[in-house]
Amino acid sequence: MQGLRKTYHRAFGRGGHEALRGMDLVVPSGSAFGLIGPNGAGKTTFIKSVLGIVRPTAGTVRVLGGSPEDPAIRARIGYLPERLHLPGTWKSPAFLATVARLKGLKPDAPALLRLLERVGLSDAVDRRIGGYSKGMRQRLGLAAALLGEPALLVLDEPTDGIDPMGRLEVRRILQEEVRRGVTLFLNSHLLAETERVCDRVAILADGRVLREGRLEDLGRGGARWRVRFAPGAQASALVAAGFVPVGGAGSDATAATNVQAEGARDEGVYVVDAADVTVLNAALDRARASGALLVELRREGADLEAVLLGAVGSPGVAA
Amino acid sequence: MNPVFVIAGYVLREAASRKFILAFMVGLTLVLATVALSLKLEVVDGALAATRLFGEVVRANIVSVDVALRPIFRAAAYLVFYGGILFGIVACSDFAPGLLSPGRIEHLLALPLQRWHLLAGTFLGVMTLAVGGTVYAAGGLTVIFGVKTGYWTVGPLVAGGMACVGFAAVYAVMLTTATVVRSAALCSAAGFVLLVGGILAGFRADVSRYLEAGFGRTSFDAVTMVLPRLSALAVGAADLASDTPLLPGSLGMLLGGVLVFGLGALAVGFWHFEGKDC
Amino acid sequence: MDSRRRRKVWLGGALLLFAVAAVMMFRGQGDAAAPPAPEVNFPSRMSGTDFARAEKRRTWVMPTLDAGVPQAPAKPRDPLLAALPRGPGRTAVVIEANALRHSPLGELLMACLMRDGGKNLEQFKALSGVDPFQDLDRMVITDEGLILSGDFSKARYQELLGERVSSDHGPGARVYEPGDMSMPLPDGGTQRGRMDNAVGTWNNQMLVVGRSPDEVKTVLDRMDGRGTEAGPPLLDENSTYGEMYGVLAVAQLAKLLGPDQQELAQRLVDVAQNVELHLDTSGDVAMVANVSGMDADKMTDLGKSLGGMLSMARMKAQSEGNTDLAQLLDFAKVRPDGTSFKLELAVPLEAIQEQLAWCREGSKTAENAQPPTP
Repeated sequence: MQGLRKTYHRAFGRGGHEALRGMDLVVPSGSAFGLIGPNGAGKTTFIKSVLGIVRPTAGTVRVLGGSPEDPAIRARIGYLPERLHLPGTWKSPAFLATVARLKGLKPDAPALLRLLERVGLSDAVDRRIGGYSKGMRQRLGLAAALLGEPALLVLDEPTDGIDPMGRLEVRRILQEEVRRGVTLFLNSHLLAETERVCDRVAILADGRVLREGRLEDLGRGGARWRVRFAPGAQASALVAAGFVPVGGAGSDATAATNVQAEGARDEGVYVVDAADVTVLNAALDRARASGALLVELRREGADLEAVLLGAVGSPGVAA
Repeated sequence: MNPVFVIAGYVLREAASRKFILAFMVGLTLVLATVALSLKLEVVDGALAATRLFGEVVRANIVSVDVALRPIFRAAAYLVFYGGILFGIVACSDFAPGLLSPGRIEHLLALPLQRWHLLAGTFLGVMTLAVGGTVYAAGGLTVIFGVKTGYWTVGPLVAGGMACVGFAAVYAVMLTTATVVRSAALCSAAGFVLLVGGILAGFRADVSRYLEAGFGRTSFDAVTMVLPRLSALAVGAADLASDTPLLPGSLGMLLGGVLVFGLGALAVGFWHFEGKDC
Repeated sequence: MDSRRRRKVWLGGALLLFAVAAVMMFRGQGDAAAPPAPEVNFPSRMSGTDFARAEKRRTWVMPTLDAGVPQAPAKPRDPLLAALPRGPGRTAVVIEANALRHSPLGELLMACLMRDGGKNLEQFKALSGVDPFQDLDRMVITDEGLILSGDFSKARYQELLGERVSSDHGPGARVYEPGDMSMPLPDGGTQRGRMDNAVGTWNNQMLVVGRSPDEVKTVLDRMDGRGTEAGPPLLDENSTYGEMYGVLAVAQLAKLLGPDQQELAQRLVDVAQNVELHLDTSGDVAMVANVSGMDADKMTDLGKSLGGMLSMARMKAQSEGNTDLAQLLDFAKVRPDGTSFKLELAVPLEAIQEQLAWCREGSKTAENAQPPTP
C-alpha cells in the first residue's frame, strides 16, 4: 500500500471525513500481520481498501501481486468481516456450498463437512444458522474464509464472541494456516491474541501508520534483564554486583511498573542493565561468586498493550 | 457456475424462507382450488350454457365459451398485472437492501465476483420468483377453465408474461434505489411511484389534454415519454388474455420498450453500485 | 477494465437504453388517444325518440260504427299498427324505411342503390310519382302481403293502375283488383304488363298489396276498425322500437333454418310460441329476437341448444378462416329468462362497410363517368 487515502464524502458536498491520511505499508508474504489501534483509527477502512470493498480516494493497493479489484486476486483471499451477517434459515453446509460456488469452486460436500469439523461445528451441521450462538457464527465465518485454501486470510475480530476454549482452537487453526504459508492479516481488539498469533504488527491511529515492524522489535525494552535468584541470596552482594531488587527505582517508567507488578509476588527478583551478553555474564559471575543461585533469567521488554499505549500516547481504549 | 446464477439462487433460497411469500403461494393455491371445486360449468356444443358457483345458478348469458371467459380472463389479467406488481413491490422490497446490508455485502464483495453480478443476480432471482408466481397463477387458471370448458388458450399465460416484464421495469428501479439508500421502505416507495408514473405514462395522451398548455404539459410529456407505459401494457395483456383484438400499434414494441427501460434502470444501478463504498 | 471505466460504460449504456426504450414505447403505443371500446347497443326497450315517433303516428281516429249509441271519444291510433294481422301464428315485420334511410346502415345501402348514379331511382320516381327516399315512411311485410305507409299524394295510381277493375272501400280507401298494368316509358311509349296482386290505397297514406282483393279489404277494414278478427294487432305500440321490428311465426322461422338444423327447427316449433324481433341500425347492426314459450325448462333447453348452435357456427367459421362470420357471431348470445329467452346477434358496422365497399367504389366510378354539368 502506498500513499493510501480515503475520504468519505457526504451528500450534497457537505464536507467529508478523512479515514485514511496517506498510509504506506508492506505486509511480507507468509507473515502473520496484526493490525491494532484505537477506535476510529481507520482499521476497518484499511481492510476494506485491501479487499476492494472501499475505493481509495488516492494511492495504490497491491495484494498478492495484483489489484484487489481483480476477481482472480480476490479468489485467493479469505475474508471474515467483523459483523458477518449470515442467512438465518440456512444450514451451514448450504451456506458454505454457496460461498464455494461464488469463489468459483465446485462444492464438495465431504470437504465442507471436514472444514466444519475443523472449526468445531460438526455437531451443528443439521441446525439452522439462525439458532447458532455468536461464537458458532464466527466459526462458520472462519470456515467460509478458509474455503478454497486462500493465500491471504483477512480476519476482522475472528474470536469475537468465542469462548476461551474456542479461542484456543481458532488460534491453533490460524497458526496452522500460517505454517502452511498463508499470509494472515489480523485485526483483533484482543491484543494478547494478536501478540500470540502475529509476528508483525502495525499500529494505526488517526488514519496513519504510527509504528510497524516485528513484534519483538516493537516490544524490545532495551538492555535490561530480569533475574531471579534462589532464596538465601545476599541482597547487599547482589546490589553491589549491579542488581537492583524489584521495587527499586528504574530508568524506564513502564518497565518499573511491570517489575513492581510481579516483584510483589516474587522474592529474590532483580533487574540488571547489561549492554551486551558479556556485561550480563560478568554481572552474573559476580552474583554467583557471592553465593547466589540463579533460577530464572529473562530479557525485560514491553508487551503489546504497552507498545500501543506508547505509540498512541494516551490511555484510550485499544482496537 | 456463473456468479449471477449463484446470487439468483441465494435470493430464491432467501425468498423460500419468507413466511409471507409461502403464505401467498398457499393463498393462491387455495383460491385456485376453491375456484376449481366450487365452479361448475355446463358446456353445450362449445357454448357456456349454465354456471353454478357453490351450487347456486349464476344468471348468465348462453354464449360461446371463449366469449364467456373473456371478462374472466380479462379481469384475471388485470389482477395478475397490477396485483402482481403491487405484491412484488411489497414482497421483494427488502431482498436488495438485505443483500446490501452491513456484514453481508462486505463478505460478498470480498468474493471473486464483479459488483454488477450481485445486482444482476438479485434481479434474476426476483424475476424468477415473479415468473414462477405468475405461471402458477395464470397457468392454474388456464388449466382450471381448460379442464372445465375444453377451451384452451395461452392468453392468460402470455398476459402473465407481460405482467412480469412490467414488474421487471419496476423492480429494476427498486434495485437501483437500494444501491442509493439501503431501505426496504424507500425501495417500495420508489416502486410504487414508478407504478403510478407508469400508469400515467400509459394514458399520457389522454392526461396531457387535461393539462394547461405550457411548461406543465411539456414537462409531463417529457417525463412520461421515458417512463414505462405500464397501463398500456396492462391493457394489451388484458386484450391478449381475452383474445380481443389489440389496439392499434405494436404491442411487441411496447413490450420491448418497457423491458429496455428496465435494463436501463438496472444499468443506472450498476453504475452507482460500481462506485459505491460499502 | 477498472471500475472507473466500467462506470462510464454503465452510465452510457443506461442513457442509450432509456433513449431506445422511449422510442420503442412511442412507436409501440403512439400518442393517439385509444379508440373507445366497441360496444353494441341491443334494442331492448322503447327510447324517448321511439315514444315521440309513436306519439306522432297516432293520427287516425277510427269512425264509430253505431252512431246511435253514445260512446266515449275514441283515442287516435296509428293506422298501420291497426292494420297488422291478429292472432297466434301470424307474421308481421315493420321496416322503418325513413329511419333506416338515415342510419349508418342506410347510408351504405343508399350508396349501393345509387351506384348507377341514381338513374334507376329517377326513372322510378318519374314513373310512379313516388320518391321512395322521401315519401316512404314504413314498409310492413306480413304473411298476407305488403303494406307501405308514407305520403303517396303524388302517386300516379290512375296512370299505373287505371286499367284495372277498382272499387271504393270505405272513406278514402280504394281497392284495385289484379289485372293489367301499364307503365309509361321515358321515350313517350308505354310498357304493358300483368300484376297478379291486388292493391289497396288508403287516404294517400297507405298502399296495401295482397294476394286477393279480399285480403286487401281485410287489411283496410282493420284500419277503419271494421275488422272481424278478435284480439289485438300483432304488434303493440310499445314494441315499435328499432329500425326494423316485428313478430315472426315460429313455423315460418323454422322454415328459414337450413336442412342441417331440422332438429332445432322442430324443437322451435314444438316449444316456442312467439318470436318478437327488433333490429337497431343506429350504430352497429344489432338484432334481438325474443323467443317466448310456455315451459320454462324446455325453453331453457332450447336456449342452450341455440347458444350451442351459434357457438359451433362460430368455431366452424374460425376454423375455416371465415373471419367475417366469426366476428358476426362473436356478439351472439342467448339470454335465458324463465319461459322466454333473448337471442342477440350483432354485426359491426365496420364489417358491413367492408362487405359493401364495392358499392362505394361503383358509385364513385359512376360519378366519374358522368359528364360534367355545364
